Amino acid sequence: MLKLNVNNICKNFGGLQVLKDVSFSVAGPELIGLIGPNGAGKTTLTNILDGALKPSSGTVYMNGERIDTRPAYGVARAGLGRTFQVTRAFRRMTVLENLLIPAMAMRATARKRDFEQKAQEVLEFLTIAHLRNEYARALSGGQQKLLELGRLLMLDPNMIILDEPFAGVHPRLMEVIYRYITEVNAQGKAFIIISHDMDTIFTLSRRLLVLNYGDLIADGDPQIVREDPTVKAAYLGEDEE
Amino acid sequence: MSRAVLYRVAGLVAVVILLALPLASAELDGLGPLVFNSYFMHLAITAFFYAILASSWSLLAGYAGQFSFGHMAFMAIGGYTTGLIGKFIRFTTAPTELCADIPLPGNWWLVILNARRVGTIDETCIDMAKTQTLPSGALIIFPPVWASIAMGLVMGATFGLLVGWLVLRLRSAYLALFTIGFSEILRAALSAEIPITEGQSGLELLPLFPSGINLFGQTFSDTSKIPPYYAMLLLFLLVMLLMTWLASSRFGLFIRAIREDEEAAAALGVNIVRYKVLVFVITSALAAAAGALQAHYIGIITPNILIILQMSLVIAMAVIGGLENIYAASVGALVITFALELLRTNIAIGPIRIDMSLWRLVFFGLLLMLTLRFQRNGLLFPLLERLNRAGIAEETVAMRDASN
Repeated sequence: MLKLNVNNICKNFGGLQVLKDVSFSVAGPELIGLIGPNGAGKTTLTNILDGALKPSSGTVYMNGERIDTRPAYGVARAGLGRTFQVTRAFRRMTVLENLLIPAMAMRATARKRDFEQKAQEVLEFLTIAHLRNEYARALSGGQQKLLELGRLLMLDPNMIILDEPFAGVHPRLMEVIYRYITEVNAQGKAFIIISHDMDTIFTLSRRLLVLNYGDLIADGDPQIVREDPTVKAAYLGEDEE
Repeated sequence: MSRAVLYRVAGLVAVVILLALPLASAELDGLGPLVFNSYFMHLAITAFFYAILASSWSLLAGYAGQFSFGHMAFMAIGGYTTGLIGKFIRFTTAPTELCADIPLPGNWWLVILNARRVGTIDETCIDMAKTQTLPSGALIIFPPVWASIAMGLVMGATFGLLVGWLVLRLRSAYLALFTIGFSEILRAALSAEIPITEGQSGLELLPLFPSGINLFGQTFSDTSKIPPYYAMLLLFLLVMLLMTWLASSRFGLFIRAIREDEEAAAALGVNIVRYKVLVFVITSALAAAAGALQAHYIGIITPNILIILQMSLVIAMAVIGGLENIYAASVGALVITFALELLRTNIAIGPIRIDMSLWRLVFFGLLLMLTLRFQRNGLLFPLLERLNRAGIAEETVAMRDASN
C-alpha cells in the first residue's frame, strides 16, 4: 500500500519563502484536493514532490524511500506521476509515441510492440483511440489533456498529481476526466488534484489540503475544512473563484 | 507492397548503385564504360564525408534538439588525433634510448617521438636512434592507419562526453554560443601549437592504404581513388545503419521527447542527463571517424577545416535536405556537394560573363534562405513525410466515424 510522508518542507526563492514547514502524509489510495489562492505554493509543492525542484529543507519519503534527493526521472520510476498546469504533450510525436515513452522508460529491456496493446486500451478508455497515429500537435487542447492523462496510465505510478485538470475543458471532456479520476482511484492509485473549480473539488475529493502563502492552513474532510474559519478568511469567504 | 518493404528495396537499390559506381570509373580497366574520372570519384568521397557529418548532425540537432555548432570541431579532433599518432608514435623492436620508450609485450616498444626533447624537426629522435642507438635490423613501424583512425573515433567520443556534460543545462542560443566558442578555441589552439600540430601549414598524414591495396584482383596504388571511395562509402553505410537502428529504438523515442519538452520527459521517467550526454558522445564519435578517414584520404589537415563557414555548410546541407530525418539530411549533403561543384561552370548571357566559382555561394545562400522561409522542414523531408503518413488522416476519420 502506498505511503507518502512529506516532512517539514520549506522552499525559498531568494528572499521569498514560498513554502513554510509543510507536512502531511498520504496512506493508501486517497483522493486529495489541494486548493489555495494564486501564489499559495501549490505548483511549487508539486514540483518538489515530483523531483523537479529540491526543497530548501525538509524531506519526502515514499514507501520508506527518500525521494526528495532523487532527480525527476527517479521519482517517476519510484511511482509518482504528474501532469502540468499548461499541457505538455510531445507535439511533434504521434499520440502512440507519446504513450510509449513512459512505458519504455520504466522498463530498460522493453520493446515498443510490448506496449501497443496497452496503449490502445488506454486510448479507448480516454475516447481518443482514433487519433493514435496523429501528431500530438494536431489534437485540440482538451484532447492533449487526455493524452497527458493517458501517459500517466502508461507510467503506472502509485500516486498521481494533477495540476488543474479541469481548467479550460469542455463539459463533455470534463466528464471523461472525472470518470478517469474515480475509476483509476478505485483501482488503487492515490490522487492529489490541484483545482480552482470549487464545486468539482468538493464533490470529488475525500480530503482537502489548503495552502495559503506557503502555510498549510487546513487538512481534513472537505465539508469540515469548508467551515474552518481560517480557511474562510484566507480563501473561500473572500474570493469565490 | 508495404511501406517498410518499399523502403528496404529503395535502400538496397541505392546501396547497389553506390557499390557499382566505380565500375564506370576510368581507373578500372576494361570493366565498364569510362564515364567517371578521378575528379568525379574525389567528389563522391567528399560527398560521403559530408553526408556522414550532415546526417549525424541531424541526429544531434534535429532529433535531440541540441543545436550545436561544434560538430566540425569533433570532426577535426578525429583528424588531428590520427594525424598526431602518425607523427609522434612508432613501434620498434628495440628501445631507442633517445625517445620515450614504453615496453610492450612480445619484445616490442611503443616509442613517443619528441617527448624527451631530443632531436629537431629535420632530424627526430628516431632518425638519430637509427644511426646511434638502435641495433641494425631493428624494425621501426608506423601505427596501422585503421587503428589510429579508431583512436580518432575514441577521442571524438571522449570530447563529446566532456562537451555534452558541460552543456547539459544550456539551451538554444546559449548552447550554440558555447559550441562556437569550443570550436574557435580548438582552431586557435591548433594554429598556435606549431611544434605539435604544424599550425596553419597543416599536419601531413599517411595515405589510407600506404602500401596500396588489392581489390577485385587489381592492385591499386596509394593515390588511387577507388579504395578510399569504398572506405568512405563503407563508413557512410555503417553510420546510416547505426543511426537507423538508434532512431527507431528507445534512444530515438527519448531524444525526440527531450527535444519536445525536457521536464515532461523527465517527469515520465526518462533519464534526460544520460540521453543528452549519450547523443553528444555518439554523434561526436561519428563525426570524428569521418574526420579521421577524410584526413588520411586528403593527406593533410589544417585548422581551417574548423572555420565557421565549414560548419555552416554542414548545417545548410542538413537544413536543405530536412533536419528531422537522417536520410533527408544525408541526401541533402550528397546533392549539394555535387551541385556546388557543377555550379563552378561559368555562364555567359550575351556579353555578360558570370564567374560561377564565386557566384555559386551566393545562389547557395539564397537557396538556404528560401528553404528556411518557405520549407522549414527541408526540401526532401516533406516528401518522405507524405509517403510515410499517406492514408493516416483518412484512417483517423474512419475510426472516429466508426466509434460514434
